[in-house]
Amino acid sequence: MFHALVSIKQVPDTTNIRIDPETNNLIRQGVPTILNPYDAHAVAAAVEWKRKLGGKVTIITMGPPAAVTSLRECIEMGADRAILISARQFAGADTWATSYVLAEVVKAVHEKDPIDLVFFGKQAIDGDTAQVGPGVAVRMDLPVVSYAVKIREVNLEERYVIIERKTESRNEVIKTSLPTALTCEKDIAEIPYASLPDLVYSLRYEPEVWTAESPITFEPALLGLKGSPTTVFKTGTPEKHAAGEVIKTAELGVDGVVKAALDKILGVEGMASMLGVQK
Amino acid sequence: MDKNEKLEFDVIVVGAGLSGSAAAAIAARGGLKVAIVERGQNPGSKNYFGGALYTHSLLEIYPDLWDRKPPLERPVTETGFWFLSKDGMVKTTVQGGKVNSQPIDAYVALRAKFDAWWAEQAQKEGAFIIPKTLVVDFIRENGKVVGVKTDRAQGEIYAPVVIITEGVNNLLTQKLGLAKHDIQGDSAALAVKQLISLPAATINARFGLTDNDHGVAMSVMGDVSMGLPGLGFMYTGVDCVSVGVGVTLEALREAHIKPYELLQRYMNHPMIAPLLAGGRLMEYGAHIIPEGGWKDMPQLFTDGVLVAGDAASMVNALHWEGTNMAIVAGKCAAETAIEAHQKKDFSAQGLSSYRARLDQRFIMKDLHQYRNLSHFLKTHPDFMAIYPTFLNDALGMFFTGFGKPKGQLYKDILKSLTNRRPLLKAVGDIVAFGRTIIGI
Repeated sequence: MFHALVSIKQVPDTTNIRIDPETNNLIRQGVPTILNPYDAHAVAAAVEWKRKLGGKVTIITMGPPAAVTSLRECIEMGADRAILISARQFAGADTWATSYVLAEVVKAVHEKDPIDLVFFGKQAIDGDTAQVGPGVAVRMDLPVVSYAVKIREVNLEERYVIIERKTESRNEVIKTSLPTALTCEKDIAEIPYASLPDLVYSLRYEPEVWTAESPITFEPALLGLKGSPTTVFKTGTPEKHAAGEVIKTAELGVDGVVKAALDKILGVEGMASMLGVQK
Repeated sequence: MDKNEKLEFDVIVVGAGLSGSAAAAIAARGGLKVAIVERGQNPGSKNYFGGALYTHSLLEIYPDLWDRKPPLERPVTETGFWFLSKDGMVKTTVQGGKVNSQPIDAYVALRAKFDAWWAEQAQKEGAFIIPKTLVVDFIRENGKVVGVKTDRAQGEIYAPVVIITEGVNNLLTQKLGLAKHDIQGDSAALAVKQLISLPAATINARFGLTDNDHGVAMSVMGDVSMGLPGLGFMYTGVDCVSVGVGVTLEALREAHIKPYELLQRYMNHPMIAPLLAGGRLMEYGAHIIPEGGWKDMPQLFTDGVLVAGDAASMVNALHWEGTNMAIVAGKCAAETAIEAHQKKDFSAQGLSSYRARLDQRFIMKDLHQYRNLSHFLKTHPDFMAIYPTFLNDALGMFFTGFGKPKGQLYKDILKSLTNRRPLLKAVGDIVAFGRTIIGI
């Protein structure tokens, strides 16, 4: 039986977010929260493989009680069990403290119910660090495949998985042993449109709540703000790009515009050699 | 719960808008097992209006309304008409007195916030909300509706009564043959609006409001619609202003005017622009308003089905009533459903008391009284072009006629009318308009 665990995060919908021009802080007030989009695709992939192989999908998240909505969304997609890790002591955690807690929870789940694949989104759209997935994997001494775009094969008998991952210039195909951690791009799977019974089941689903004391305990000094070595000195907004240059066919004609555009592109340093053309 | 369990309720409400969530709340409070099926991501995400809500209708569903802390913007403490000419404005507004007596009759609201809260109240009464799901058809047994089909796999939900509050685009009502036709271009208005963010103090200063517990709701006529049959509006939120204009689809099409151009023109009007200056656009949107009222009303019930709100054309265009009709009709539908369950009779005959309930209220009385309004506007296409401008001219001359013989002044005023419309025709217009609103 296949057992996948997906670690998800509820995030503010950054398409709706505004930056206070004076303080440079995010205005979170009134901004709706959503399931981190990369995580949603990771859940979809886990459910897809569960349906192929038979087995189950467990979801975990660390967050406030309101994160129940995102867990329900995962159940709606076809996950079987959801755990909300929520307590005051966890608040204010950076990626270091977060990955400690998540790793402890994954270990505890794994002990009772061995896990084959631990899924993460490639990053959360609010912090954009891409650190928690690899952080958990390292703490558990698991191999980690980041920026996964496709799972080619999961072989439970011979205990291996073949995953395609994206790099800047090419895709890599990696074969590694189970269990493995992976962080997912959106290409990993399409979000399914749940059946009505699945949706209704998810709306009524109450996740398990794990606190700092129960059912497992943590090292208090490693939790929350106390356990977080990161200090944010300053945040700011990036400079806006200048408006693009407009080349008009009315002035240069079609051929003229094509030539002007090509000259611009090839004029970028290193572009000609990268494209393998001569100027 | 077992995933294979058949989904069965006592009542299904289609659409978690003002009418739907009101119906669901009353039905659930009456002991029925209620499902609301909503196509949006969450209730409120697909809802849009001008606009203001009417306190009487909210209190009718929740007598303890104020304890529930509804997310309302400002109370309406000044309201009335603004008549725009090309470069001027006559204001006839009322404030204080009856308008400012408790409870205040109308509150400005933003539907995305309000409807989410409104649905949450229904949920607290026990209704079960199924979001992100579109009802596409009905389940029929022996010709009677016994449930709905949704766009999801295994998407059937069963209930002996379905309350359709699907809104103006009433495809399901049409599918059942209750509505005889699709939205009509000559009676449906397309309204477009912008929500402009401004500091509360700026709004108070510009609109002459004492504090954030005072607000305006204005109907704007004349140049706002370029004389086309339609109205503009202006509502003050706490730190935002809703400004918009609605014109019938047919008039827009015939005049070759794009609605957002009309809105832009309105917002740039010399009397309007200073009110909005320096504001930031927060959202823009559009919505169809079924202004046909009585004339476009579908059959309101059939075996296993009741229709309420915009889907049933329950809008009084002249008085800006629609939300209150939707809410009260939702309540009437729920009461009918409760009664049907008591009598175990879900036939059209058994549900016919819905009509009787509506007849007793302002809903059918008003819609019947104003039944000729859309016909009047159709047959008097220049009404909005002539009179608001004339009013500006007349009062403008009256209040600047210093040092002129007053006999000449009155002749000039009369001439500014007769230049636009022969006197007899003008008298005819006024009489026809009067007959239309009295309903004879």
